[in-house]
Parts: sequence; C-alpha cells; structure tokens
Amino acid sequence: MVKYGGWAGKVLHVDLSTGRTWTEDTAEKYKDYLGGTGIGYKVMWDEVPAGTKPYDPDNRIIFAVGPLAGTGAPCNGRTAITTLWPTCWPEPLVATGHMGGQFAAKLKYAGYDAVVIQGRADRPVWLSIVDQQVEVQDARRLWGEGIRRATAAISQVMGPEAVVAAIGQAGENLVPMSVVMNSVSHSAGGIGSVMGSKNLKAIGVGGTGSVRIAGNKDEWEKLIKYHLSLLGANNQHVVPSSPQPWAEFYNESTRWKGSKGRAWGAAPRPIDTGTCEPHNLNRIAYRTNNAAFYMGDIAWQYTVRGNGCAGCPIRCHTMIKVPSVAAKYGIPEVGQNTCGGLNFGRSFFKKFPDGPRGMTNMEACMVGMHLADDLGIWCNYGQLQRDFKKLYYEGFIKNKLGEKEFKSYSWDKYEKGDPSFLFELFPRIASQEGELGTALGLGTGYLLQRWSIPEESWGKDKELSYWKMGHPKHHSTEDAGQCGLLINLQYNRDAQCHSHVNFIRNGLPLSVQKGLATEIWGSPQAVDAVGAYTPMHPSKAKMAKWSLLRKELHDSLSLCNWMGPWVASPLKERGYRGDDSIESMLYRLATGDKKDRQELDQVAERIFVLHRALMIRDMGTKEVRTKHDTIPEWVFTDKSGKAPFTKGTTRMDRNDVKVAMDMFYDEMGWDRGTGAPTLQAYRKVGLDKVAEELGKRKLLP
Amino acid sequence: MVETNIGKEGEAAARAIATMIRQSSEASQLIAESEILRRMADQHLLISQAADPAEEVGDILKKVVDGSEDLHELAAQDGSRRYYSSHFMTETYAMILLQKLGDPLRLIAETVRENSAVYPRPVPLDIFTQPPFDLTRQEVLNDLERMAAEEEYRDIVPTTTSASRVFLYSTLHLEPEYASMLAEWLDVGQFNNP
Repeated sequence: MVKYGGWAGKVLHVDLSTGRTWTEDTAEKYKDYLGGTGIGYKVMWDEVPAGTKPYDPDNRIIFAVGPLAGTGAPCNGRTAITTLWPTCWPEPLVATGHMGGQFAAKLKYAGYDAVVIQGRADRPVWLSIVDQQVEVQDARRLWGEGIRRATAAISQVMGPEAVVAAIGQAGENLVPMSVVMNSVSHSAGGIGSVMGSKNLKAIGVGGTGSVRIAGNKDEWEKLIKYHLSLLGANNQHVVPSSPQPWAEFYNESTRWKGSKGRAWGAAPRPIDTGTCEPHNLNRIAYRTNNAAFYMGDIAWQYTVRGNGCAGCPIRCHTMIKVPSVAAKYGIPEVGQNTCGGLNFGRSFFKKFPDGPRGMTNMEACMVGMHLADDLGIWCNYGQLQRDFKKLYYEGFIKNKLGEKEFKSYSWDKYEKGDPSFLFELFPRIASQEGELGTALGLGTGYLLQRWSIPEESWGKDKELSYWKMGHPKHHSTEDAGQCGLLINLQYNRDAQCHSHVNFIRNGLPLSVQKGLATEIWGSPQAVDAVGAYTPMHPSKAKMAKWSLLRKELHDSLSLCNWMGPWVASPLKERGYRGDDSIESMLYRLATGDKKDRQELDQVAERIFVLHRALMIRDMGTKEVRTKHDTIPEWVFTDKSGKAPFTKGTTRMDRNDVKVAMDMFYDEMGWDRGTGAPTLQAYRKVGLDKVAEELGKRKLLP
Repeated sequence: MVETNIGKEGEAAARAIATMIRQSSEASQLIAESEILRRMADQHLLISQAADPAEEVGDILKKVVDGSEDLHELAAQDGSRRYYSSHFMTETYAMILLQKLGDPLRLIAETVRENSAVYPRPVPLDIFTQPPFDLTRQEVLNDLERMAAEEEYRDIVPTTTSASRVFLYSTLHLEPEYASMLAEWLDVGQFNNP
C-alpha cells in the first residue's frame, strides 16, 4: 500500500467467536472497490453465502471508510456499515448504513480502512483498537447501559481522544430498529441489533497515525480551497434563505439560514451569523442552522453552535440548549442532531398545544433526541413515527393490544402532544416490552406481517411514504419525478441517495437549474419544477444513473452524499456551476492513482452493480424488475384526481414509468425484461467472476 | 478606475463619489443623490466656481456611473435617484431596497411576482417581516387588504397551508392549484421529507 496515499493500507478482521484478529492488505484485495460500501459489498460477496441470516455468526458487519477519510478533504466524515439488513422484509438482504462523526478519521489514524467483524462472542464484549493493538474487552458491566454511559465508560479507559461507536439497549435486545452511534449524535440505523447478536457492545478506536497525501502538498491545499469555494449550506443548498446583499437569488426553503441579525442566542455570547458572503471560507459554518430550519425562528435563541463531522465545515448537527427541559423532563439541557435525529421525538405527534413550531415542539425534539440516542432506537427515516400515528389513529393499536397493555399508555397525553409520552413508549421499544414495543421494534414489514396487515394497504397511503421491503421512500417522485422514482427502486432499504435532491432543492431558479442540467445530463429536460412533471426523457435516466453512481462513489470514498455532489455552487461568477470532477481530483491527489472522472465513475458503477449482484444472488432470482424494483400504489394516485403531468401533482403515469425503467436499464446496460445486469454489463465493470458465479446459478438474463 | 473628462477637481470629486457609493453598498444601503450632494458639501469637495452644485454633482455622478462597471443608478418611484455598487450588492437586493423606499404595496407585489415567475414558487407572508423588508405583520396584513381593493394588484392572492401559514403568489405566473400545492410542499412536505 506504500505506493498509494489516501488509504491506511490494512483491513482489520475480527472473529468474535475465537477472539482471533488478522489484517489484509487493502490494495491487494480492495483497491478496485475503493473503500466504504465498495469494501462492504466485496466482503459480503466473498464471505457471506446466500441464505445467511442477519443474526447468524457467519454474517459480517463491515465498518469501512475510504481513501479520503481523515484527509483535509471537505465532508470526509462518513463511515459505511454493511451487513445483512434485519428490517429488510420479507427476507433480509444486504444494505448499508452510514454514520458521520469522528469514527472514520480515527479508524484511518489507527491504520485501518475497514473493520470486518464475524462470529459471536460468548459474553458481552467491546473491541478496543489502538493502532496495531487490537483487543477484545469484557463488556459485561456495560451491557444494559445506554449509548451515552457506555461511551463515557469506554472513553475513560481509552482516553478523551478515542472515538467510540456503541449500541444501546435496543441493539443488545436484538431490536431490529436499532442504531450504532459515535460522537454523541452520529448514528447508522439498522445496525445495532446485528452488533447485539454478536455480543458486541462497542468499538473504541484510538489512532496516532495520519493519512499520507500522495500528491503535491501545495496542489492539495489549493484543491481543498477550491472545493470549499464550491460549498453551499447543508444539502449543498447554494442559495441563502433570505435576501442578502451579495446574493442574486434567495429561497426561503433552503437550509442556508444564516443572516445578519440571526444569532446563535445560547452561545456564551450571542454570535451573529452575518451575511455569510460565499467567498469568505472561514464563515461557511455560520450558514446552516438545522434547528431553525425544522423548528422555526424560535430555535435561534436556543442555538449554541453547529457541530458535525471530521473535516466538514457545514456543521449540520445543530447544538441547542433548552434549559427548561432539565427540570421538566429530567434530561440534559443540551442536545445536538440533524434531520431525522432532530425530529425523532416530535414526529410521533400529530399536533402540539402551541402549534407546529412552538416550545412544545422543541421540547419533543429534545426528549426524542436524548431518549432515542441513548437507547439506540432507529427511526427508519421517519417510518417508525408515520407507522405509529397511522396505527394509533386508525385503531390498529387498540385492536392489537390487550386492554391492560393499551391502558398502560397515557393516550390522552399523546393526543395532546405531551412529550412526556415518549418516556412511556421508547423504553418499551428498546426492551421489546409488550406487544406494541415489540411490534414497533421489528420495522414496518415485519410489524405488518405480525399484525396481519397487508403491505399493499401501506403502499396505498401517500402520507405514509412507505415504499417497499419494509422501508420508506427517500426523495422519490415528490422531489424529482421519474429520476427520484428510479433511484428508490434500487436498494433493499430506503435509498439514502441525496445526489439528485441536493440539486433539485439547491434553491436556484428553474432556468438556472435547467442550464446546469444541460451541461451535466445533456438536456434541460432532465429536471422539472416540483409538481410540474413532464414525460420521461433519456436525460432523466442519465441523471438517475449519475445520482446513484455518485452516491456509491461518495459512500466508498467517505465523502458525504448528504452534502454533495458539488455540481452547483453559490458562485455567480461561475454561473452557479460547481465541478463534476471534484471527487476524482481529490482522489488523484490523495492516492496518487491517476483515475479521471470517467474512470472513477466506472469504479462507482462496479460497486453499484456488485450490490445488484448480491441482491440477485441472495434473492435467488434474476427477475428483479418485477420482484424487487416495485412501486407502491400511491405513486400513481392523486387525492384530487389530477392526471399525471398536470401542474400541482406528483402523480406518475404507469406507462411512462415503464418507459422510465426501460430507459434506466438501457442506460445501465441491464436487461429490460428482468432488470438484471447482463453478462456484458458485469464484464464492462470488471465483475467477470461475479458474472461467472451468477451464471452457474442461472441468475444471468 | 473612474475615467472622466472633468478636470482635476472633478476627478477628485468623482473618486469621492465612487467611494461614497461603494461604502454605502458595503453597508447594505443605497445612497441617494441628495445625500451625495450633502456629503460633498460637508467635505468641501464641490468645485468652488460651480453655479449650481446639484447640477455639478449630477453631471459628475452620471460620468462616474457611466465610467465604472460596478456603479449603477436606480430611479425611485418619486423620480429621485439612488446608487449602488455591484461589488457589494446585487441588483436583486438593490431593487428590494429601492422598492422599500416607495409604496409597500408595490414592494410586496413585485417581490411576489418575481418569485412566482422566476423560481417558480409562492412566498410566505412572513418573509416581509424579515430583513431587508422589515415590515410588521400588521403592516403586511393592512397592505394586503389595500391590495385586494386595487385593480393593479388583483393578481396577488394568498393560499393557506395545512399548517396555517399564509403564502402569496401571482396569478400572472402560477395557477391557483399549483401554487397551493407548492405552498404545502414548502411549508409541510419538504420537512416531512428531510
């Protein structure tokens, strides 16, 4: 690995059944898969046979990072965690979760690009990694503790510089809806119970090394500055939410909330976020305030600052201090999170006594954050909360619970929007207590099965956002029409792809977006205004493919796909262009491997197609167009009866969607009839042996 | 660089004027011709033998603006002139400041029309209570009531989301059902799809 910079050079393997640890050379086996999800899928293909179940000792859980993790590249804090997904219904298939924080960088500094864990310990353990010293430690006294105490206890042993990724009670109790979390608030959902099944409470990492940059250091520094200059706010929103003297455009719906007069009111001394002129690279962190974005202007007075991942100036985990919650609910007055984590508690409620953006809403956020992030409960991109509301208000809960259990919950509190209700619900989910706690912890697919509710009924309700296989949509037709739909077909959980939506929601006027789309995807028809969709066009299939490959590229390099890609920028003098080659420029200089954008995209395609191959192998069918790439009924409906392609609806047309799928499969070189990659498609990306194996199983089209 | 044909005294005055405009823009403000004249007099920068100082400053201003890529003139509703530097302020922002000086009804209407046409999107009513608009909520409500009665603002109409937030749009650029759908998306939908 000495030949290359970027990578740490070793992949660490740990067999918890035997206590054996060993390493592999990253370059020898995994360089063609970069890192992150690439290493994850490769390990799953090579080492986990079809038919393995998530909690089998033979299942692997792979914490993998990429060559840019731990460098100075912006937004490099993502760790990809790959395993068999316990909430994937009706059968578990491979999927990945992603956590930010400091874990990725620290793993590199310890000398590893990935940790592959197999087996099952005979007692609760935690894994200590300090450079070359890897030890399986006794965790019996930590078992039963929440994430916060476990993290604190391990940090006391390892020292304050260590990073701890731990599970809470939910993971220990094999609740499928559980997370692993590091650095206070950075979690990956769906993973917790797989760690729990291995009796693995936590991984603590201490590293004293560094990441070598192969290229010229001055060029690297210049490139980092260039990349920073293209950054917007969170989700690469490149337009401020309110008029600014320097800004040609403003868009109230962006996450660029910073503005003169808007101050972090709970900082030791209030700090005005200022006009955030985009050329001032030292003030990027003042642009984003996700608490204000979600909770409204009330959040400014409670904002301490932004927090976030290694190497990321965006700071999307807004830290808020709400003193009243300490006495009222017995929880810490300071909390931090972003998006799903920030909204975890409040999303259970239909209403609050003081409206949707009042103080109770904020308290519900605080209670939800502290409980879920300590117990280690996963929200499945908000599906847990949407399921709960439907199950309660449509009478399922009352019907399925015994009278005694039903009455044990304070439903009057729930209906009033009292956040203290969450103290009754969350611990029961984490401990599988009672019918409700157990069912909610299973994830949507298995919950519906347990309660004999047809999955189709969930798929008819647009408000539920349910998509398939136990999971919701993640930026589908509501954001990007057919492109969003195609992206949501691909994975075995919610798609977790932000490549397309970060462009669609960047805040620029439609005419500017169309100009950029023409340059990137070949036609202005690639993008439509939200809710004013036009029929399928080849450029939409190109945009879908590009989005998916950029997602896999980011997840394998350890760049944050919630922040990139960077094809738009806040810079008027660039015509608001970003740079589609920024990933390959960073990769080349960091590693010394001279791949250009197209060549790196080819690697991303290899990783994406390998995921497809794993799905086909483990499902045991090549008929994935009909058996995997399915679409819920709500996509084809509109509550007002509006026809597809009329303004004001996101309703899709069935025949047009068939065309969209044909165009996408063509774009990928996959077989239209089955939706499976052809032999040529595998060979094109260097997966000849994968194709050979699938051929033996008669799984090639 | 300011290039004028106005003599040495005039060049000094031109430089001073350009600096005044740029400094005002840097402070996020337009500067009025009358304010420039006042400052020129205060700083003894007027040419001593000029018969009409206002005419003198007007001439220099015109030459300064014509000769500087970044300096721009805007005509307010009352016919007075304001100036800004695009080094520190965009036309978008300058136009908001300019409209703010005049009729608030026009400020609201032009902002709503521009948003409906360009992005396209309705805008929440409360955006006008924020900087740089800085109207009170009651002022906005009063203005809307007046607009409803005036023919030239008939295209500016409200739509209310399920979260009870009022958005405004122009029927010249957005159909009512589409505007309602977009308002619901902006106020509720996008937050449910983070």
